[in-house]
Amino acid sequence: MQPALAPIPAAEERLSAALAARRGTRSSRTILLILPALLFLGLFFAYPMIDIVMRSLSGAGGFSLAHYGRLVAHPIYFRVFQITFEIALTVTIVTLLFGYPLAYVLVHCGRLAAGAIWACILLSLFTNILVRTYAWMILLAPDGVINQLLGAVGLGHQKLLFNRFAVLVGMTYALLPYMVLTLYSVMRGIDGTLLQAARNLGAGGGRAFWHVFLPLSLPGVVGGSLLVFILAVGYFITPRLLGGAGDQMIAMVIEEQVELGMDWGFASALAILLLLLTLAGFLLYSRFVGLKSLFESKL
Amino acid sequence: MKTRLEHRRPRAHRLSRRTLLQGVGIGAGLAAAGTLPALVSRARAKTAGKVIVRTGGGAYEDALRKAIFEPFTAATGIEVQPFATNVAKIAAMVEAHDVQIDVADLGEFTTVTFEKRGALEKIDRAKFKRTNLADIDSVTDYYIGENTYATVMGYNTTAFASKHPRNWAEFWDVKRFPGGRMLEDMSAEFPNLEFALLADGVPMDKLYPLDVDRAFKKLREIRPHITKWWTSGAVSAQMLASKDVVLGSVWNGRILALMDHKAPLAIEWNECSRQLQTLCILKGAPNLENALAYLDFALQPKPQAEVAKLVGYGPTNKKAFQFIDAKLAARLPTSPQHLKIGFTTNARWWVDHRAEVNSKWQAFLLGE
Repeated sequence: MQPALAPIPAAEERLSAALAARRGTRSSRTILLILPALLFLGLFFAYPMIDIVMRSLSGAGGFSLAHYGRLVAHPIYFRVFQITFEIALTVTIVTLLFGYPLAYVLVHCGRLAAGAIWACILLSLFTNILVRTYAWMILLAPDGVINQLLGAVGLGHQKLLFNRFAVLVGMTYALLPYMVLTLYSVMRGIDGTLLQAARNLGAGGGRAFWHVFLPLSLPGVVGGSLLVFILAVGYFITPRLLGGAGDQMIAMVIEEQVELGMDWGFASALAILLLLLTLAGFLLYSRFVGLKSLFESKL
Repeated sequence: MKTRLEHRRPRAHRLSRRTLLQGVGIGAGLAAAGTLPALVSRARAKTAGKVIVRTGGGAYEDALRKAIFEPFTAATGIEVQPFATNVAKIAAMVEAHDVQIDVADLGEFTTVTFEKRGALEKIDRAKFKRTNLADIDSVTDYYIGENTYATVMGYNTTAFASKHPRNWAEFWDVKRFPGGRMLEDMSAEFPNLEFALLADGVPMDKLYPLDVDRAFKKLREIRPHITKWWTSGAVSAQMLASKDVVLGSVWNGRILALMDHKAPLAIEWNECSRQLQTLCILKGAPNLENALAYLDFALQPKPQAEVAKLVGYGPTNKKAFQFIDAKLAARLPTSPQHLKIGFTTNARWWVDHRAEVNSKWQAFLLGE
């Protein structure tokens, strides 16, 4: 009420001052809103990351490159990195090959069928990873169900366990839900009328899919693949239980160094190298494939 | 709207005041009722206190509870608080100078690592009144052997009905004893370099310092016949049970559990390797005196024999065998008949060489 009684220029001044103040409080309010997240990230992400970097760079007498020196002196650890990325990449491709049709069916099938498929996917997601992995050990065993089936159809006894095949099966199974969930959320957002329009204009089903649906679903492909790849790179329980001698993944080595060898410096150096290599892969990927589609997605 | 609001407000006000008063009343009552026992227990705790003991949890902790925790509290009034955690967490406590446990029950390899980092309290032997430390071989300045488990040769009795391998040289003989085999992976605990050296003719008392390259050379011979290098005790048991392998190194507790469930398996105790489980006190332990009292109690013959009965780990106190019959002794790594034919893993050697072995082990796994 008071500003209305004051002289006009003063009122204008006050108004703009009030607006500025309001703008100020709005931006400070915005900061307040993201403050918890910033604090959380700072405390539980940035600080431990810095700590790991420092650990990897310290030896008995302060600063030291000894841990990285050990890595360079034993190129075998780079072989383990190579195997890690090989496995992670294969798992990503296989989950995409299985996940894409599955997500497509989920978006287009009836509610009952979708419910049943969701139940299967979520049930496996909610089951403990150890339980799921041991279940695969039993299924793939020499006298397990799968070998019995193979024997019954005359394919004979196959070595299914403790090799790369078992690792890929176990990891694909564990990571498939992440791929399907990501793909599904993107596919569901695709406007069905666009496909109808394509059909109206004379495109066949395949062509409409290829030129309309597939490009629109790419954000899901990129997002799901990145998610699965990053999760797969850090896997150690599944390859440890299902793999053979040649299926060493770097997280297994890191875990051994932390829990048994108690060499946290070397473990940190391995972790930092894993991070750097993953980031490098990420950059290459964004350069050649592009991440723009990921950020355009309607996730 | 207005009248309803006006009506409601004072009522809500009254109600809230009433609830508040009620709350205060109940709170005060609860507080009074709650403080009394708390005060009493605090007073009791002041006289006897507590001791916090790290265990690995599981069946082993259940056995400790029955054999040691409960009788210890009954005898001394000191309450035992078990603290199940992995080794990395203890290392983090030590590093942060925030030790929340008094006694750690750990494998010797880990204990020696902590000892070398200056994380352990020197054990005051003069404080021992119940246990005669002369009855225990594995007494050092910073830790005492509590019990012993063994890595033994386990085999399937249907695959080897008439004759089975009786030493590691015969384990390597795939012509006489065909079938899938397993040996330990480094991520379980130790790779079986000792067994390879025994197979290559090194006498049991001349194993250490290990000739690492010779061991790996011998391991390369058996590599094509190894179905899997087992990465945990559970995996080794699973492989024996599901006949993924018919022969392999395995921890005695794991194979005994399978044999008790009538699995067609047996143990060859010859040339088994014994590993020590130790008790130590962490530097900065909040209840140092009680920690010593716990060690003194736990290492007596009787509690040791009880643990052996419950989980099949061998006592370190020789007098414990007074309470152990022949049937149980046949299951234990430290019974007199097994002591003679096995050897003790040299944890100190492993602490000094683990990093070196690890890079060679990785290379070996990848076919080098």
